[in-house]
Amino acid sequence: MIEFKNVVKTYPGNVKALQGVSCQIQQGEFVAIIGLSGAGKSTFIRCINQMHTITSGEIIVNDENVTALKGNDLRHFRRKIGMVFQSFNLVKRTTVIKNVLTARVADMSLWKSLLGLYTKEDKILALTALDNVGILDKAYLRADTLSGGQAQRVALARCLAQKPDIILADEPVASLDPLTSQQVMEDFVKINKEFNITVVANMHHVDIAQKYAQRIIGIKAGKIVFDGPSQSLTNDDLTNIYGRSLQHDEIKGLE
Amino acid sequence: MKESILLAYKKRPRAWILNLAIFIFIVVIFGASTPYIPYKGIQEKSINIAYSIIYGITQPDFSYFFDFSKGALPYLLLETIAIAFLGTLIGAVFALPFAFLSARNVVPKWMAHVGTFFIAVIRTFPAFVYGLMFIRVTGPGPFTGVLTLAVSGIGMTAKLFTESIEDLDMGIIEGLDASGCTTIQKIRYGIIPQLMSNFLSTTIYRFEINVKNASILGLVGAGGIGYPILAAMGAYRWKDAGTLLFGLIVVILVIDYFSGRLRKKLATGQ
Amino acid sequence: MVAWFKEVIFPSPLELANGKIVKPKRSPMVYVLPIIFVLILISMEITGFDFMVLVNRGYQFFVIIGRMIPPDLGFIPKVIQPMIETIMMSIVGTLVGAFFALPLAFLSSDNIIKNKVFLWVNRFVFSIFRTLPILIIALLAKYVFGLGSFAGTVAIALFTWLIMTKMLYELIETVDMGPFEAVESSGAGRLKAFWVSILPQILGQFISFILYNFEMNVRSASILGYVGAGGIGLLLNEKLGWRQYDKVSTILLTLLVTVYLIETLSRAIRKKLS
Repeated sequence: MIEFKNVVKTYPGNVKALQGVSCQIQQGEFVAIIGLSGAGKSTFIRCINQMHTITSGEIIVNDENVTALKGNDLRHFRRKIGMVFQSFNLVKRTTVIKNVLTARVADMSLWKSLLGLYTKEDKILALTALDNVGILDKAYLRADTLSGGQAQRVALARCLAQKPDIILADEPVASLDPLTSQQVMEDFVKINKEFNITVVANMHHVDIAQKYAQRIIGIKAGKIVFDGPSQSLTNDDLTNIYGRSLQHDEIKGLE
Repeated sequence: MKESILLAYKKRPRAWILNLAIFIFIVVIFGASTPYIPYKGIQEKSINIAYSIIYGITQPDFSYFFDFSKGALPYLLLETIAIAFLGTLIGAVFALPFAFLSARNVVPKWMAHVGTFFIAVIRTFPAFVYGLMFIRVTGPGPFTGVLTLAVSGIGMTAKLFTESIEDLDMGIIEGLDASGCTTIQKIRYGIIPQLMSNFLSTTIYRFEINVKNASILGLVGAGGIGYPILAAMGAYRWKDAGTLLFGLIVVILVIDYFSGRLRKKLATGQ
Repeated sequence: MVAWFKEVIFPSPLELANGKIVKPKRSPMVYVLPIIFVLILISMEITGFDFMVLVNRGYQFFVIIGRMIPPDLGFIPKVIQPMIETIMMSIVGTLVGAFFALPLAFLSSDNIIKNKVFLWVNRFVFSIFRTLPILIIALLAKYVFGLGSFAGTVAIALFTWLIMTKMLYELIETVDMGPFEAVESSGAGRLKAFWVSILPQILGQFISFILYNFEMNVRSASILGYVGAGGIGLLLNEKLGWRQYDKVSTILLTLLVTVYLIETLSRAIRKKLS
């Protein structure tokens, strides 16, 4: 379970990214975070695994106080949280399977990781993860030969290879076309249901958020202004969250 | 486990073979080289020497910096800089004709090849060979250093000049031609402004290098701070050697800094 | 004539058609050229520049060149052994230097090390050592390790270590940090993250740097012999001392051919990498 207790994050220069955010996310939920750019979505997500530190308040994840973690404890904690990025963040010059295997180095000894000595279990795990997102056949190709959608699935497989409890996604489909976005989102849903992994995803596109997430959290100017099932999201709610009617780039255009 | 996954596992590329081969190759090269490099062992004396040298460099005798007589540190540094300065200038001046004669947009192709070849030959001679040659001509001393740096610098300077010439934007010259300029005007307003800043930058770069070379030339007796350093070390006067080195390092750092800023200004701005 | 000088030093304001007055700036050359002229005079005085000596004795230079042609080709067999020694020194020195440059570069990159004080001190200290010409390093090495090629190899290794560190950290700072962030967020430490996400990105260039430095080191290694640090420089110095210029040119010829071969090979490998 992820719990935010009155979390405040202020950047230097007095920029208030999060102003007293509180919520609870249970294991296995699929939550989409929506809101204007700069409203605090990205900060919210990145505080969960301490990629950003918070100014005050508490974040408790699976009974651990995230704020207090550092060094080895922090690294240990992060192994259970996978992260998917808008720009995929794959190592372009290496193969797909090597990219997925990088998820294992956190658990390996230093020498073995420097020499690339992955065990048979590791490799089978990586291949299984690739199979789970449907691109087993691309395993030995170079990462820069993939299309956007395929690359994001490799990134997702990389998360799976960590055997995580939670997957954080920072605008995972923002760079993809509508059809591919839907395919990738379906993979997210599948993983969420099949492995009971909590998914917390930032979404730039509201229609995608509504279609695939069970629950939506709307953030405006650092505060949560909507928190409920995605079916109950009304146009009034949206106007409240965005402060205006939606612009065309906030709708992906589902087919 | 799924059949397809097992299959994919079995089909995995065995990269480790290539890596092992490369590793063995490197080990073999290493192993083959070491007989040529006899390890005499670190004698206790060596550790002391290393320590003395470092001690000398980090605890320089600052009084040396204030001795303004002819054989002393400031004068030697000044001499080293002067050698580099004159050597670079003369080298640049002589590099110009070589450069133009090797530029493919100025002279016919065959001539450019000859020019480039000539420059390559000049570049093969290490600077100290020129040094030893010039000592036969003008005797030991800083004057020889100047000549050595001048001639040895021609090679690299000319090569860089040639690159600048070949990068010339001919469009500007065509434009001047179209508006009816004479050849001299074309050169003065079209070619020279483009080349000037590049040549200047190259010359300053060469000056930086020559300051280091000038200190080395001293080792063959061509003036500058090299010989005193050699002499101090030969007499095991580590403190003196360290102080001299310290002075040299300071000079090089200062010159590198200013030349870097100047060249940056030439490339963007001024 | 005088008017031209006057105009350059004190440029007169121009009046445009619409009445605006523009004062042209004085060209910096007005200050720069006289200063350079004075510097030249001072330098000539310090270095004892004597044009007449050049005129009277200049022909000696060409006499020496004359004696270098033709090279004594029968001497070549004696050159091969020191030449191989020079190449070996360069191989070992370059590889060792490159090997140790990687960790130091890792510790000097501003996208990996966040402690600004540490970074600044690190870069400052090493930029000081980087000013030392390789011959001076060789000289120091000779006193510590004795005469011979071991000292030369150590000198090459140290010099390469310093140079390569800078080349590497400048390269590392241009790299795509996305994958690094991703691996870090999965719980790996910075070293492991670097190894699997950044190193693959720079490997090609790294090898290119090694080859480039190897080329340069073969040229330097031939000089190192002068301070007794082994290799072909020793032979060169000896023959120059004995004024056996035809043998000197043989040595230089061998050097030229060797360097040319290495350069061509290196260029081919580098091309294949990109």
